[in-house]
Formats: sequence, C-alpha cells, structure tokens
Amino acid sequence: MTDTLSYLLMAWMDPNLLMLTALGTFAGIYIGAIPGLSVTMAVSILVSFTFSWDVNEALALIVGIFIGGVYGGSRSAILINIPGSPSSVATSFDGYPLAKRGEAGQAIGLSTVMSVIGGLCGTLVLACAAPVLGDLALQFAPRDYFLIAAIGLMLVGSLAAGSLAKGIVAVCLGAIVGMVGMDPVTAQGRFTMGQMELMGGIHYVVVMIGLFGVAEALYQLHNLDTAVVKQNVSKVIPPLAMVLRFLPLSLRTSAIGVLVGALPGVGGDIAALMAYDHAKRSVKNPSRPFGEGAYEGLVAPETANSAAVGSAYVPMLTLGMPGDAVTAVIIGALVVHGLNPGPMLMVENPHIFWFTVGNLALANIFLLIFGLMGIKLFAKVVELPKAVLIPLILVLCTVGSYSLNSSMTEVYWMFGFGVLGYFLKAFGFQMGPIILGVILGPLMDTSYRQAMASVGDNPQELLMELISSPVSLVLSAALLLIVLGNTPLYGWLKRKTARASSSPS
Amino acid sequence: MLKKLITSVAFSLSALTLALPAYAEYPERSIQAVIPWGAGGATDNVMRSLSPYVEKELGTKLILNNRPGGTAVIGSSYVMQQRPNGYTLLLGAENPQLYPVLGLAKFDYSDFYPVNIIGQNVVVIAANGDSPFNSMADLLAAAKEKPDTLRMGATGAGGLPSTVHAMVNAVGELKVREVTFGGDGPGITALMGKHIDFMPLSLAAAQELVRSGKLKALAVLATEEVPELPGVEPITKALPDIAEYLPWGPFWGAFVHKDTPDDIKKKLVDAYAKAVANEEFQGFLKNYGAQSMNLHGAEAEEFLKRWQSVTAWSMYKAKAIEISPDTVGIPQP
Repeated sequence: MTDTLSYLLMAWMDPNLLMLTALGTFAGIYIGAIPGLSVTMAVSILVSFTFSWDVNEALALIVGIFIGGVYGGSRSAILINIPGSPSSVATSFDGYPLAKRGEAGQAIGLSTVMSVIGGLCGTLVLACAAPVLGDLALQFAPRDYFLIAAIGLMLVGSLAAGSLAKGIVAVCLGAIVGMVGMDPVTAQGRFTMGQMELMGGIHYVVVMIGLFGVAEALYQLHNLDTAVVKQNVSKVIPPLAMVLRFLPLSLRTSAIGVLVGALPGVGGDIAALMAYDHAKRSVKNPSRPFGEGAYEGLVAPETANSAAVGSAYVPMLTLGMPGDAVTAVIIGALVVHGLNPGPMLMVENPHIFWFTVGNLALANIFLLIFGLMGIKLFAKVVELPKAVLIPLILVLCTVGSYSLNSSMTEVYWMFGFGVLGYFLKAFGFQMGPIILGVILGPLMDTSYRQAMASVGDNPQELLMELISSPVSLVLSAALLLIVLGNTPLYGWLKRKTARASSSPS
Repeated sequence: MLKKLITSVAFSLSALTLALPAYAEYPERSIQAVIPWGAGGATDNVMRSLSPYVEKELGTKLILNNRPGGTAVIGSSYVMQQRPNGYTLLLGAENPQLYPVLGLAKFDYSDFYPVNIIGQNVVVIAANGDSPFNSMADLLAAAKEKPDTLRMGATGAGGLPSTVHAMVNAVGELKVREVTFGGDGPGITALMGKHIDFMPLSLAAAQELVRSGKLKALAVLATEEVPELPGVEPITKALPDIAEYLPWGPFWGAFVHKDTPDDIKKKLVDAYAKAVANEEFQGFLKNYGAQSMNLHGAEAEEFLKRWQSVTAWSMYKAKAIEISPDTVGIPQP
C-alpha cells in the first residue's frame, strides 16, 4: 500500500519530474493549438529523443504533452474556427460562435476548467477500474464499432443547420473522401483513378485544415469591412456556480469520453463528437441554441476528449494494446526502455501504472494553471485586423499540413480542399458533416466488413449477434432510438403523451 | 569600381556557401523511416526499439511514421516514390517478396537495396486463453466438422496469417472465415475479446500474452519444440507433411531506394550492422522471441531470394495462388 502511494506521488515529489511534467503540459498546449502539429508526431519525436533518459522522466514529459496537446486544439478552434487537432472539431461548433459574440475569454476559461474535470475523471477511472474497463473494452466486436460509427453519423441531423439534405450530402462527400485509397481487405485501389500516389489516401487532418481553416479564411474575405468584435475579458475564469450548473452534463460526457477512449483504435476525436451529440439530445434548455454559442456545446466535447486521454492508457497498461495513436507510440517508448507492455506489466512493474496515474493527475493540475494563464492575451487574437489574421491563418495551415509528412503534396491537398470548402460554404453546406464523414466513414466501412466476414457474409447471423451480445444490444437500441427520434413518429408520440398528462381530470 | 568588385566577390562567396551544403556529410538532417504496418504490432515494436541505436550510430534523428494498408503496399510504394537521397527508409517485414505472385503490386524487394535483414521470428497458432482448443489437432477437427464457421484473424492478402493458412491447406484442410484487420495489433485485440477464434501470429507479437495466459499457443510452426515456448507442440505433430515447407518465418529488414548513392548506402549499412549487433538490442530480440540475423550485402540478397522462392513455390503448390512463380521470374528453390 505504501509502495503504491510512493509511486503515485513520485511525480509530485521529485523536482525533476515535476518540472518535466510542467514543461510537457506547457509545450503540449501550444503544439496542440497550431493546426496540423499533432500530439502523435510530437510524442513520436520525443520517444527517440528521450531514449537515453530515465524511463520515468521520458514518460513524464510525454504525459504532459499528451494532456496539453489534446486541450490545446480547443484554443484555435475557439479563436479562429480551425481545430488545432481532430479532437477539437466538435469544440469549434459552439466555441467559435462564442468568440464571435465577444466571449472568447470565457470560452477558453470554461474549456480549460472542463478539460481538467474530464481529465481528472479519466485518471480516476484509470486508477480504480482499469482492469474492469479493459475487459469491457475487449467485449466490443467489429459490429459494435460499426454501431458506434453509425451513432456518430447521426450527429449530422444536429450539425446540418438549415437543410438536412445538404448535411447528408456533405457526410457522403466526406465518406467518399475518406474512402480514397487502398481497400483495407482486398488491396484494390478506390477512387484512385489509377494513380499510385493516391493509394495512400488523403490524410484526414489535411482535409480538416483545408475545410475549416483555409475555407474559413477565404470566406472571411467577404467580410473584410465588418468591425472586429470586441472581446469582453473582464471575467475569464468561470464562476463556481457555472461549473456546478454544468456538472451533471460534464460527468455524463466524461463517462462517454472514458468509454470511447478505452476502445482500442478510437480516441478523443470520436469521443468528442459523440459527447456533443449527447449534449444536443439531452439538454432541453441550453443557455443558448446549440451552434450559436451554447456553453453546453463547449462543455461536452472538452470533457470527453480529455477524459479519453486517461482511458486511452487502460488497454495499453492492462493488455499492451494501444488505445489510440499516441498510446501506440508510448508502447514503443516502453519497449525501448526495456519494459514489455502487456498483461504482465502491471504484475512485474506495478510502479509504471501508479506512476502514470499520479503523473496524469499532476499534468491536469498544470493544465489548469497554464490554461488559465494568458487567456486575456489570447482572446485578443480575435481582435486582430483581418488583414493580419487571415494571412497568419494561411501560414499556420501551410506549416501544419507540411509538417504531417514533410511533403508539399499535403499542402496542395489542403489548398484544394480550402477552395472546395469555400464554394460549399457559399452554397450553404456545413463543414462539420464533411469531417464527420471523413472520420467515421472509413471506421464504418472497415468494421462492417470485419463483422460480415465474421459471420460468413450471413446477414441473419449478424442480426442474431446484434441481439445476443449485451453491448451490441445496447448500442443497437441507442441507434434505433436516435433514428426514430428524428422521425415524425416520435413527435407524434410526444404530443400524445403531453396531451394525456396535461388534461387534468 | 572597388565597390562593384567587393560586392561581386561577396555575392560569389555567399553563392559558394549555398553550394557547399550539397557536399556536406550525410546525414545532415533527420531521416524519415516508414513502417508499413500499424502501431503496436511486431514490426512496429522491433523497429522502434532498434531506432535509438541506429540514431546513435548515424548521428541524426530517425522520424518513424506508420503507413499501414494493403499488406504494406502503401508504405513500400510511398518509399519507392521518394527521392533516392537516403533520407527515406523502409522498415518492413517479409510481405513485399510476395507481391508479384499475389498481383498486389509490380515490385518486390529486388527493387530496393537491403540495408540490413535484422532478424526472423517463429510463428505460433494462437487462440484465446479460454478457447476449447488445446492443440492443432483440435482446431483441424473442429474446422472439418463445421467448415467455414471458425473465424481466423488475418492481415490481408499476403500477410503472415494468410500465408500460413495457405501452407496448412496445402497439406491438410482448414476451411475458415478470414476476418481482416489492419495488423496483428488489432487482430490480437479481437482474439482476446473472442471475436475471432484463432490467428497465426509471430511469436514476438504474442509472447507476452501467451506468457500471461491471455492467449494460448496451439502449435508452433516448426519441426520441433522451440525453447521460448516449452510444452507447445510443433505443427508437424498434427500435420507431418508440412515439414517440407519448413523452416519458415517472417523476417524484418531495413531497405532503401535502389538508386541511393553508394556512399550513403555504405553509411546506412554500417550504422545498422552496428546497431543490430548492439548487446542491448540483441537482448531485446531474445526477450522478444526473435532470432537475430544481421545480414547485409550479398548475404542479404541471397536470403531474400531464397525466402521468396520457397514461399512462392510452396503457395503455388498449395494452390493458394494462381500466378505461377516462374512467370514472374522466381526460380525454383
């Protein structure tokens, strides 16, 4: 017991580790904020960089960057409507409208506090229930991943402000973009038009930067004459009352984040989208309509993507399986330092597990400190004259896209999608559904085919499995309810029950 | 007049300094290393463990990128398209040697230069720890009783599981459903969750889980027991005829574009040879259940040719492929 305690507090007591965690978190925030620079890339470079260090020191730095990076993406999502990382796509839906109203400071402050709450929830679950959660995550079969992707796609109904038809077209367009490349099962080229170069597909971060960043910058050229919105930065730290008011929602969305993050192969980006979807459906009286600066729309994705960080460690530490791209790299780091991630890791080297828990908690505290510092300065970014802001955005986007693979191809793709996005925006298509299609389309495709292969291409057997497995049953029911909820049938049922309860006698 | 002279001299000197870097020492910046398989799998783990030692020898950073897809076609063709200046490496497994006979791509490792053949691994047939099967014979019997019902994890056409499956089918009968994953990592996760029934894996990927009892090794693809897996029967017990295809195993290697300048090739070969020979890395390989080979130059090319001809011809005999190896220039072993 005392051993566990000493491992937990190792990062807190040792000045070296304390400093490294702080440094990592600080750097992570800014790496995450620049669109295109990804946490995965930064951690990848760090693994070889810290090869000769002590394993605890290397892990401390990496944990800091992970936590800071996932949060940092929300900065640029709120300020300039460009998600700094895929996990902040959902943050931009309500974060940017808040900035347009002059409340960027409050938005950043709220997202910081919510990220810390989510992060601490994730860490807590990791500490208490890692083996249980790990086993639960293993129960998810390919058909369950398919259902999750399908549920996520239902978000299109909420995102397509205006025309649902245009939203669906946008999702399909995104799914097509996501399918470009090699078929995962048969290795045939899809939409590659005979070009070998396209066999690798189009990186979804490039699509994201192009559609959200460049397209937005081009669109702003219409509005060069509108006055900049003055940001009200008098109160950036959210009052306790506000935090408590959103506590039920933030705990629910943290739970979503924890569960989705623990599934191997899906991470914070999908968690954030599903949390946003949940918030839209469950919050009946939001502070403002969703999509126009609702605080709930900011709370949900930020808690979820930070909670997913802690739970991404679950499959990694309990089974040696990566929970997402970053933990896959961390596995490599452990291997390089002579440790063997796997079920035996917790038995033979328990200190790594407890050290990580303590480290994550520490990194979240630093996140609170560094995140709340300098908000006033950051909020002023929105007030920059457009003549400075737009070129700055274009430069950042270019740097970000280039950094993905050190090649100009990604930059050309980004500009291409930027121009496409500009025209789509002009004709009333939303960018959100497109990204939804790009991220979830390939997941749906691969898991559907794995599920069908598992049942020998027999749809009846698949349906039987959907009913017999508890996880699949719950997910199928959720999907069915969501679909029905969007149809007139649901509205009719609601009206009937409302009439029945309102008639007194 | 003097001003003009000075300016022109200054300009020419600065132009010279711009030209000088072209003759600077390789490597003068970080090198991109492409791993054509997903993160968390055997290839990924081996390469990530080796890279720090290589970085020390070369004196620069190796940036590792996973580019999975199409049984390593995506990653390998990406490296082939880059400039042959030694700044893009391919850290792959054995799959490209089968591309010509599988029709997956028009190239194979003879279109690359082998910097180092790092090591090879032994294959185990793994099942979930709670599986009702305890040996290869059990698995074969169950598959015979209910053909096309058991689910086998695979990694795509040309991946290790399908090659092993083909070999088994050449001498026996194993009719199963193939479920494709992006690498042995996701496949192992599905195996642990009991969403598939078994999967041929390299020992490196499965070792920790077999050790902890989460996975069960039904058989090892060898003619006799291997010391790393005491008590696990060799596959020849249930399928004696398979011995003619053995010894066989997946291997890992580092490759670079064929047209890379010779001095750069030499630097890479030296660096990798020393890195692989490093005591700590050797210890890692052993711990991982892999056999070190550390081949380069003519030995490496010989090894690649032999592996290719043995595997391609055995798959052809097993009727697992339709393209005859000699039509694509692969001689009989």
